[in-house]
Amino acid sequence: MSQWLEQVIAQAERQGAPVSWREADYASSLDALKNTPWPTRKTEAWRNTSLTPIEAKKLLSDGVSTASTQIPVIAQLDSIDIEFVNSTLVTDLAQFNLPAGVDIVALENISEQQASSFNTIKPEKHLFGLVNDALATAGVWVNVADDVEFHTPIRFIHHVQDGSENHTRILVNIGRNAKATIIEQGEGHVDSVNTSFSEYDVKAKGELHHYRFAMFTDKTLHAGGCHFKLAESSYLNSTLVGFGSALSRLDTDLIYTGEHANADINALYLLAEGENFDLQTTIEHAVPNCTTTENVRGIVGDKAKANFNGRIHIHRDAQKTLAELNNRNLLLSRRGQINTKPELEIYADDVKCAHGATIAEIDEQALYYLLSRGISRSQALILLNFGFIQELINDIPLTPVREWLTELLSGRFAKMEVK
Amino acid sequence: MLSINNLTAKVEDKTIIKGLNLEVKPGEVHAIMGPNGAGKSTLGYVLSGREGYEVEGGSATLNNNDLLDMDIEERAREGLFLAFQYPVEIPGVSNMEFMKESVNAIREQRGEDALSAAEFLKIAKDACKQVQLPLDFLKRGVNEGFSGGEKKRNEIMQMILLKPTLCILDESDSGLDVDALQVVANGVNSQRDANRSFIVVTHYQRLLDYIKPDFVHILADGKIVKSGDASLALEVEKEGYAFLGKGYEEANA
Repeated sequence: MSQWLEQVIAQAERQGAPVSWREADYASSLDALKNTPWPTRKTEAWRNTSLTPIEAKKLLSDGVSTASTQIPVIAQLDSIDIEFVNSTLVTDLAQFNLPAGVDIVALENISEQQASSFNTIKPEKHLFGLVNDALATAGVWVNVADDVEFHTPIRFIHHVQDGSENHTRILVNIGRNAKATIIEQGEGHVDSVNTSFSEYDVKAKGELHHYRFAMFTDKTLHAGGCHFKLAESSYLNSTLVGFGSALSRLDTDLIYTGEHANADINALYLLAEGENFDLQTTIEHAVPNCTTTENVRGIVGDKAKANFNGRIHIHRDAQKTLAELNNRNLLLSRRGQINTKPELEIYADDVKCAHGATIAEIDEQALYYLLSRGISRSQALILLNFGFIQELINDIPLTPVREWLTELLSGRFAKMEVK
Repeated sequence: MLSINNLTAKVEDKTIIKGLNLEVKPGEVHAIMGPNGAGKSTLGYVLSGREGYEVEGGSATLNNNDLLDMDIEERAREGLFLAFQYPVEIPGVSNMEFMKESVNAIREQRGEDALSAAEFLKIAKDACKQVQLPLDFLKRGVNEGFSGGEKKRNEIMQMILLKPTLCILDESDSGLDVDALQVVANGVNSQRDANRSFIVVTHYQRLLDYIKPDFVHILADGKIVKSGDASLALEVEKEGYAFLGKGYEEANA
């Protein structure tokens, strides 16, 4: 076991379950943590991502301020902003003037019944999910009642501070025929450990527009997850964006529990210098007639390292499933590394599935052609190589987010070195 | 304008340009002819700064600036334009977007404001019509699926838009029928003026019927071995490169 995990267990035992309805989850996760061997490079789920940066780390958090920080701005975005600092919810949720049928409440203030889907969507297999179960005291519940369309995006902000541990939880319930937009935005580069896990329960005909920006860099360690359950005829549109740090990992799971549900998932990562980013997605087609389109695209520069594992599991009864998964990468440097593993596991016989992965390098001839017309090297690289990233950005329905990401990601790409 | 002195350059350890001298003054049109393997295309690549083409000695200046010391894009901004023999296809980047970036990069160098999309569209349409390409070629990927002749006309369109001071046309006539040849030649002739110079690299005299050169040079084995006026091209057309010696005659057969 790692020293860090030992401290996690000790701290969890000190603080106990934050609220009575979480006692059972808390106890079982703590128990699982005690019995889970610390992953090594031989552990399949961690084969390409090293846990060295965290395993001997001292648990941080003591004495760090929980004062609200400068919230990162997305221009023109009119959103409800909810901020977590150092494992604490610092936003006063009572200030929001919400329409009938929309509730945003701290997790410790909801009833056991309201919390019924808590920890039923996130699979137990995620080590840091268990850590989060045991340590996360702060959390928020969002409930959008049946037939309510809520158009104002709800934005969760994890802006890390030096020396902090941030363990937070989000539970979202999208009612029947309801609609909402949720943004999970994480940023930071200072010494800290972050686990934020979110669960989304989308009821029949519900529609969720979801964004997760895991923009942690440098010394900010991150292992988080987002987990979705889609009922009959519901729809998920999710955009995931990752930067890399000494350790950054995002586990995403989706399970279809009702027929005729669809999900469009677009994931992007841009990794510079020695950054690491590990994206794991699992789609469980447990019922027939659902459609998944998953596009994962990344650019890896210098000594950066990307790991993508995308699994689509089509259960025996999931006939008429349509599933498409592809992962396209651009490698800017011979020292960079990309591991990609799209997996299709099919037990039904009447399905349409496709998967693929590519890793390309800079096309030197095309680059020369553009340079010979006076276009600067950075601009030429953007023209030639940013298109496949831009395509996914263009799919984003929310205009302010689309514009913000275009500028942010093209700027990040322009600074990446080609070797 | 362009001054090349005793230029030597190699590609992958093989010296191709072996002490080349050339002086091009503003407004002049120089034709460079020569047999296969003489170094005609290499000269264009070396002057444009293409990677893998290494200068071993000598000098080349454009408007008294050391060309060989500049990055590829700086040479273009200084006014050098190379019309490629085999323009590369770049799917995913629209011709329009590419040319707008290019024109604005060069305008910036000249201290001019960037053109808006609408302003650029207007001049791009004019240039497109001038080289007789359908307007939807502006929207297509750069050279993507273009025929050989369409690629050459696309090069001339870029030349018209970029208004370079020195244009090097690398076998812009190869693979063209007479109509396309005329379009290319008309494009070039429309750009001739007292301040703009051309180096027309060609294998055949045919193009020079349409673009009248002031000087004709014969390039063989990396050096200019003979220079003259337009009549030299006619002579080569009639006699071949026999005067260079037996090996060249065969290479050109």
